[in-house]
Amino acid sequence: MPEKTALITGITGQDGAYLAELLLEKGYLVHGIKRRASLFNTDRVDHLYHDPHEQGVRFHMHYGDLTDATNLIRIVQETQPDEIYNLAAQSHVQVSFETPEYTANSDALGTLRLLEAVRILGLEKKTRFYQASTSEMFGKVQEVPQKETTPFYPRSPYGAAKVYAYWICVNYREAYGLHASNGILFNHESPVRGETFVTRKITRAVARIALGLQKDLYLGNMDSLRDWGHARDYVDAMWRMLQQEEPDDYVIATGRQHSVREFVERAFAEVGVTVGWRGAGIAEEGFIESIDAPLLERARNGYGPPVGDGPLKPDTVLVRIDPRYFRPTEVESLLGDPTKARERLGWVAATTFPELVQEMVWEDLGEAQRAELCRRGGFVVREGRE
Amino acid sequence: MTKTALITGITGQDGGYLAELLLEKGYLVHGMIRPTADISGNRVDALSRANPGRVHLHYADLTDTSSLAALMDKSEPDEVYHLAGQSHVQVSFDLPEYTGESTALGTMRLLEVIRQRHKPVRFYQAATSEIFGEPQEAPQTEHTPFRPVNPYAAAKLYAFSLVGVYRRAYGLHASNGILFNHESPFRGATYVTRKIARAAAEVAAGLSDGVALGNLEARRDWGYAVDYVRAMYLMVQAETPDDYVIATGESHSVREFCEHAFAHVGLDYTGYVHQDPAFMRPVDITETRGDATKARTLLGWEPTVTFEELVHMMVDAEVERIDHHA
Repeated sequence: MPEKTALITGITGQDGAYLAELLLEKGYLVHGIKRRASLFNTDRVDHLYHDPHEQGVRFHMHYGDLTDATNLIRIVQETQPDEIYNLAAQSHVQVSFETPEYTANSDALGTLRLLEAVRILGLEKKTRFYQASTSEMFGKVQEVPQKETTPFYPRSPYGAAKVYAYWICVNYREAYGLHASNGILFNHESPVRGETFVTRKITRAVARIALGLQKDLYLGNMDSLRDWGHARDYVDAMWRMLQQEEPDDYVIATGRQHSVREFVERAFAEVGVTVGWRGAGIAEEGFIESIDAPLLERARNGYGPPVGDGPLKPDTVLVRIDPRYFRPTEVESLLGDPTKARERLGWVAATTFPELVQEMVWEDLGEAQRAELCRRGGFVVREGRE
Repeated sequence: MTKTALITGITGQDGGYLAELLLEKGYLVHGMIRPTADISGNRVDALSRANPGRVHLHYADLTDTSSLAALMDKSEPDEVYHLAGQSHVQVSFDLPEYTGESTALGTMRLLEVIRQRHKPVRFYQAATSEIFGEPQEAPQTEHTPFRPVNPYAAAKLYAFSLVGVYRRAYGLHASNGILFNHESPFRGATYVTRKIARAAAEVAAGLSDGVALGNLEARRDWGYAVDYVRAMYLMVQAETPDDYVIATGESHSVREFCEHAFAHVGLDYTGYVHQDPAFMRPVDITETRGDATKARTLLGWEPTVTFEELVHMMVDAEVERIDHHA
């Protein structure tokens, strides 16, 4: 079989990195599009890029932007991809209220520009298209669990833009016969999830609190319910969609739901801290109910203060509510039904919720240990708080 | 106190009728026109001369945010009727990006400019039955799932959704009118109803051999534009903003429209109408039919013109235009 070529937009993001890794393993030639920035923004794919002996020459990056149609046409023309994965987007819901125009321009029209590029170049028969749709499109959910037939009810500029992209993708499939599929992905996390997303914010804070690098953690709505899976599993679903004979739309989810509160509890449990809750509404706080000293010791790996010293004592407040993190309209309860993906794609979410939280906390503990090592060596450690 | 309204798309069919209605009601009317617009001969030009000092036109464009901010500053409206947009379905397949820029992002830019001004403004969004696409049920109501099948409808659905987001997130008095097809003698010349009416009049006058159309079996719920702009006004006056289907509840085929139009000038349409694949859409909708019960109940809105009256009115107007030129 001849080598396949894939083009990934959003290569520098969490999913882009996992997908590039997967496709390189499968023997693909992988092209990625990244935005030009004066700072390096390729942390997540550097390990793929810097391995010239095995994979380096099969992984290429191009500067590009979804708001620039001519640039997209040129990259598609040059790379002649068999598969395009459109993962690039302004994907932060809260930020979309601040920058609705940029969000629509990149997320909604960006998808259209890429589809048009395929059509303009006459690649409708060759190139298969994956569109990163999202459970945020369900917004104010019309039924639980959500499946492929659940009506969309977006509640943010991000959700509205993604609904546009979803339909324009369906439209190009129906009008021009393009092999274009939507993956309606529910939340998917990993150790390389962006630091401003709630899960990573929590695991990073838990690791830093365990090592004494940070005092506490501020969160928004603790009772939001989410269906959280592992990004590594979800990029495999993307690939499977494009290997099907017929393009289609699929919900990708674990089918299980957890609250932000549960995520916090489980993350702290990883470092031996049991969190209790008191107060209500914006006055609610999470405090240390008890500490499992050996577990905390293990998490600190010699980098924290001796257990018993430092601020981590029963009754210390670790979690507080900041109304700034409430969204103007909050999506309340997301739960996906992945039956269709299981039956047609043979896909299942392999990683469980406890495994996901565990992996994220331990990766962030490693980061925190490195920061602490630097701090002890007299180097300035960046806080990187919001 | 005199109310002030801003109408985007004032040079279009609905914009003209709405301006007329609001002027009758004593409003001061501001209209947005594109920098490239030529309004000589447009109805709004006549309206402006008939109502000295009460119609003001401003250049602005939906793709230019700063021009929209300036437009709001110049007009200081109490009510904004957002009717502008690239609204031709077939054209949206050829100009999908421009359609998205004007119809989808244009609405977003206008809403965002309004939000950032922090002044109370009521907003009407011209949504459309096109967002139902190939409908999941008949007739369509406010609860029918959306399934847009062309770039125009996808852009309109984005705008519809965003109006809901701004209503809920920021408390904006913003309503969506999900209008089914609405026609009049001022319907744009490229729309099928106007094409048929004109062809019937021209064939009757010996000026044409006939007309080429797309899918003759497509069924549409056609109403009269004057009735429909009244619904817009009622939505904006309602205490709480909401989404409403505006429709007659009846559907007729393009073929029936031809039959009635040609019969009105004493002709049998079959000799003059032929189907041309060039006018067939890549994806078409077989039938639209709306249920306006909510608008009837909550707004007291009723359509006043029947299908046959509408066809006759449009053909008569074309006959008159030909006589006028002769």
